[in-house]
Amino acid sequence: MTSTFHLNRRQLLGAAAGVGVTGLPGAALAQGKGKIVVGTWGGDYARLLNKNIEQPILIKNGWEVVQDQAGDPQRRSKMLAEQRLPRGTSDVQGLSSINMFQMHDAGTVLPIDYSKLKNAGNLLPSMKYPWGVGHIYSGKVAVYNPKMINPAPKSYKDVFDPKHGNKLALIDIQYQYTIVCAALAAGGSTTNLEPGKKLLLECKKAGMRMYPTNEAFAAGLKSEEFGIGVMWKARVVQWQNAGISVEAVAPSEGTLAYVSGFVIPKNSPNKDGAYAYVDAMLEKSAQEAFAVDMGYNPTVTNAVVAPDLNKRIGFTPDEIKKLVDLDYDHMNKNDTALKEWWDKELKG
Amino acid sequence: MAAAAAHAPPEDGRTSILSASMLIGPATVFVVIGLLAPLAILFRYSLNRFEPRRMMVEAFTAENYIRFFSDPFYTGIFWTTLRVAALCTIICLVMGLPLAYVLARTQTRYKNILIMLVVLPLFVGNAVRAAGWMTLFGSKGFLNVSLMQLGVIDQPMQIMFTEVAVIFGIIAVNLPYMVLTLQSVIEGVNRNVEEAAFSLGAGPVTMFRRVLLPLALPGILAGTILTFILGMNAYATPVLLGGPKFKMMGPLVFGQFQLNNWPFGAAIAFVLMTATLVLTASANLMVQRRYRR
Repeated sequence: MTSTFHLNRRQLLGAAAGVGVTGLPGAALAQGKGKIVVGTWGGDYARLLNKNIEQPILIKNGWEVVQDQAGDPQRRSKMLAEQRLPRGTSDVQGLSSINMFQMHDAGTVLPIDYSKLKNAGNLLPSMKYPWGVGHIYSGKVAVYNPKMINPAPKSYKDVFDPKHGNKLALIDIQYQYTIVCAALAAGGSTTNLEPGKKLLLECKKAGMRMYPTNEAFAAGLKSEEFGIGVMWKARVVQWQNAGISVEAVAPSEGTLAYVSGFVIPKNSPNKDGAYAYVDAMLEKSAQEAFAVDMGYNPTVTNAVVAPDLNKRIGFTPDEIKKLVDLDYDHMNKNDTALKEWWDKELKG
Repeated sequence: MAAAAAHAPPEDGRTSILSASMLIGPATVFVVIGLLAPLAILFRYSLNRFEPRRMMVEAFTAENYIRFFSDPFYTGIFWTTLRVAALCTIICLVMGLPLAYVLARTQTRYKNILIMLVVLPLFVGNAVRAAGWMTLFGSKGFLNVSLMQLGVIDQPMQIMFTEVAVIFGIIAVNLPYMVLTLQSVIEGVNRNVEEAAFSLGAGPVTMFRRVLLPLALPGILAGTILTFILGMNAYATPVLLGGPKFKMMGPLVFGQFQLNNWPFGAAIAFVLMTATLVLTASANLMVQRRYRR
């Protein structure tokens, strides 16, 4: 009786996740190992998870994989809402490193047992969070249109310079990273953000533009409404591929790192499946494919990226040494206040 | 037979009560489970307290409501929403009424096609429609490029990410609702009544004011309320066309949930819902009283 209920409930929850079974061809094989429900953003990332991890590694080996596609705020809300339930509706959740920490801080995620991951030995030490595993990373670099900005910027300080006027632009949804970049430009740090806020207000006074999304920012860059800003290096590669005149520079203050990874909810119904998923995403082949398809850097040391691609997406050993990570605890504690400042003072 | 006749009314009564229950039952259950219960939960959340680390803390406080009404930033967004919704409703009414009248009175065999043309914008989602406006309004969009090539302007006009763009976008979404509502009501007004007014010497304006307007008032009210509610709760259009600096209540509610501040998000949602309800109910009462006299 219990097993019947269990099966129906799982099916129901999978369907309620509003998603497609991504591995239909492997459905016949799936009976042996069970179902893994993966919370992820939609679009390219979901497609590439399926192409590079789920189909070739998991579904091929008898797992059934269901993607619960939604923006991360909705999925985090769902994790919080389900927190008290003995069984949640997802097995792994893809989040940015700051949101992985936030979910850990809220007590919703399982501490990672790295002994259960056969690929853990290859993982970069900085990607081994106690509460989650880094999947891909990139860095917030200075981006500029060489036709409009000369000389090229060398630092965040060169980017967040009021002299650029309305040739400088920001992205609304990236308020956390942008404030930290501005703080580094103004001599602050990842925990001393006030100088950055002051600098941003000066840039605003000088006419700085703001775009709602990454896509709108790219459109503005393409139409030469502005010529300088900060963005993930991986995105710059995608924009270059799309024919936009844009160059990237790793800033001299150190590049603010962006890590995207996976956490396992404490109430994941299939924890073995969750570990299998995380392990599969660390496979050499999957990591190399993500570098090629998406322009993000592998988080495992055994992945080989072609030198010409590495030049475009990667960082030099010196730049890697100078990568700056957010202070997650500080950001998490101050997130609401930062967003309020951003909305009221900077955008107001 | 007499006994049978004596028993007939109670049986009919029971049957009609049963039929009525069966007719309204499913919708009532759906509304209670799908709307009222979540609303009650949301209202309870709005009385909780937010702490960044613990997210939502059980409490019984009005501080979220006080915060909203005591902060000019939030009340400013409220007034902007009200202004945009009212403006869009008035423009929809002014533009929709003549169109609805023509649609209602036309005898052409293409009437159905004309109605389909009015409904056509509803065939695509708000976000897709907004994308269309973006290509039109952008600094290198159709409008700016055309005007620059014609020599009317030498610098692109900033239309995207302004209140004007949002008003255009919302009108495009809401106008079909207004036209369809008005058209169906005007069609129900007997054309002979209008003819009678004309034959008694009334001009078109007098006929409209003294005959058509009072008779079509329920439809005008319904269309106005529908358009106003849609305007107050607009989400995709303000986000996509208004840009990061333009704020309305719908995106503000979602923004709070993005920050996991459910109590404040719930409070804003209730302020928005209450304001919409109170304003539409008051307008309804005022107009009805005026025309009852």
